[in-house]
Amino acid sequence: MLLQKLFLILLFFINSVLFAYPNYSEAIKEKQIYPLGKKIYNTKCSKLDPLDYKSFEAVREAINQEKNCKSLQVKYKDALALYIWEKKRVQKSNTQKYPILKVSHSEKCPICGMFLYKYPRWVSMLEYGNGKKLYFDGVKDLLKYYFQHSTESMDLYARDYYTQKTISLKNAYFVIGSDVYGPMGNELIAFKDRKSAQNFLLDHKGKKIIRLKEITEGMVYKLDD
Amino acid sequence: MTKINFYLLEYAYAYIIRNKIKNIFIITVFTLLVALLSTVFFITTTVEHEMKGRIEYKPDIIVEAYKAGVRSSVDEKLLEKLLEIHGISSGNLRLEGVYDFRAKNVRFYLYGVAPFEEVSDPFIKNILKNEELNSSNMLVSKDVKELMKQAYYDKYFNFIKPDGSFKKLYIKNYFNIKKRKEFQNLILLDQDALREIFGYKENQGSYIALSVANKNELDFIASKIRLMLPNVKVISKNDLNVSYEKLFNYDSGVFLSLFIISIFTFFIIIYDKANGLSSEEKREIGILKAIGWRVEDVLHAKFYEAALISFFSFTIGFLLAFIYVFILKAPLLGEIFMHQNLLDIHTFNLNIYLELSYSLLIFLLSVPVYIAATLIPSWRVATLDADEVMR
Repeated sequence: MLLQKLFLILLFFINSVLFAYPNYSEAIKEKQIYPLGKKIYNTKCSKLDPLDYKSFEAVREAINQEKNCKSLQVKYKDALALYIWEKKRVQKSNTQKYPILKVSHSEKCPICGMFLYKYPRWVSMLEYGNGKKLYFDGVKDLLKYYFQHSTESMDLYARDYYTQKTISLKNAYFVIGSDVYGPMGNELIAFKDRKSAQNFLLDHKGKKIIRLKEITEGMVYKLDD
Repeated sequence: MTKINFYLLEYAYAYIIRNKIKNIFIITVFTLLVALLSTVFFITTTVEHEMKGRIEYKPDIIVEAYKAGVRSSVDEKLLEKLLEIHGISSGNLRLEGVYDFRAKNVRFYLYGVAPFEEVSDPFIKNILKNEELNSSNMLVSKDVKELMKQAYYDKYFNFIKPDGSFKKLYIKNYFNIKKRKEFQNLILLDQDALREIFGYKENQGSYIALSVANKNELDFIASKIRLMLPNVKVISKNDLNVSYEKLFNYDSGVFLSLFIISIFTFFIIIYDKANGLSSEEKREIGILKAIGWRVEDVLHAKFYEAALISFFSFTIGFLLAFIYVFILKAPLLGEIFMHQNLLDIHTFNLNIYLELSYSLLIFLLSVPVYIAATLIPSWRVATLDADEVMR
């Protein structure tokens, strides 16, 4: 009886050592592990369906069974498993995707009339419910327009300063008063999370982190002073 | 002047033939001058173009470790630390190195490849697209294959490890370098094989390559890393641009002085010519006027004469420069750029690259100036009365 219990405990330990949940920081996962896992998934193991598995260990086990992925090195298997479990599975269940902000050479900002293609990093977009899109050369001009036409419903998008990926401004964090200037001078710099906004605030001598709800029309116009 | 007057053209040609010695001398000087100027511009523009091309695919930030002031290997842990910095979008531990093949006195450029790693250079990416490497084979450039063959390594090559033992790698395939001349001695091999050849420990690499999504943030991040890690050397793409440009500007300064000297020589010759015609030439114009030529006919003929000489000399000079630079590979002048430089260009074996604006500049500096220098004194003489000229 005791021997059986001991054996079970030992089995549990061996299992947990074999498929221990890898412990990486969020940044490393985002910048290194997921892209690596994605590439492995796309080139070798795209047969694995992320929704088939109940736990990380199950994913890991399935990778060991799959004939294409069996021969991979342990670190690649780990990356693949993490990608499938943490990224691919989540992606499947929630498919919200933001548009890519790309402007043509003739597009101008409706507020200041500047050509947009010269400042691709600062392009922001406003989308009406009926699909009509307007592009601006920065969050500041976008918000000016937004406050002038605030009765209608619309979606706002801009690029995250650090990653340059499109984010929705409804859940973005803005830093004002920093030493980074956009094409129209003082800007509201958008970030996808509070952590990166905080980091930017310290690095670039920003004054304040604000959300979209807290921004008033007066604040936007004050940036021009 | 809508139509070419062939009678006048024939007259101009006959005039050139008649004054053979004088015109051959002018054509020689003109040709040499155009050739010299074109050579200068061909060499500088090609080298500059090559430099820009080489920088283009470099990583945004390179982090090299230093130990006692000497470059040493980088640890993987450093990469993890750097990836925590906001603004760095991705990074990897690069394994690269130069292997001295003493038997042939060449340096192979070894590039370590990890499976599934993102390669930024499209050329290497393209090669690796349909080749999978393991730790006992490699892909080599055509030149390397040729060199290895000369040393009787047909199927494999023995690299000598730091401890003196051999690392045998089979030649899996070879590739053409096409226009990427910097990859002439490139060998692509697995990272683990490269570690073995150069004696790197596991988790060690040659340098760390980082990419930054927002290029406005590049310099800030570079200086942040410098503050964070006192023992590393951080090279951002902007720094690289500046240092290449500095070196290049120094070299082309030597060229510029050459250019100024030759331009001045040319203008002295032109000035001398524009100052007056010989008495014989004056008399010829006088005779032409006496037998009934109008002023415009004389100028017409003179224009044809100057145009024939200058176009002919320009074309020949341009061709000579082209042959000298791109076919003979710039034997003496090319050396100025071929010293121990940042780009590791040791022979002037670059791609043909012509910048039209410079060719146009040389054309405008020589041909119209010469034509004007011929026309103005002739016009001065032609407007006088015939008897006055011949007297």
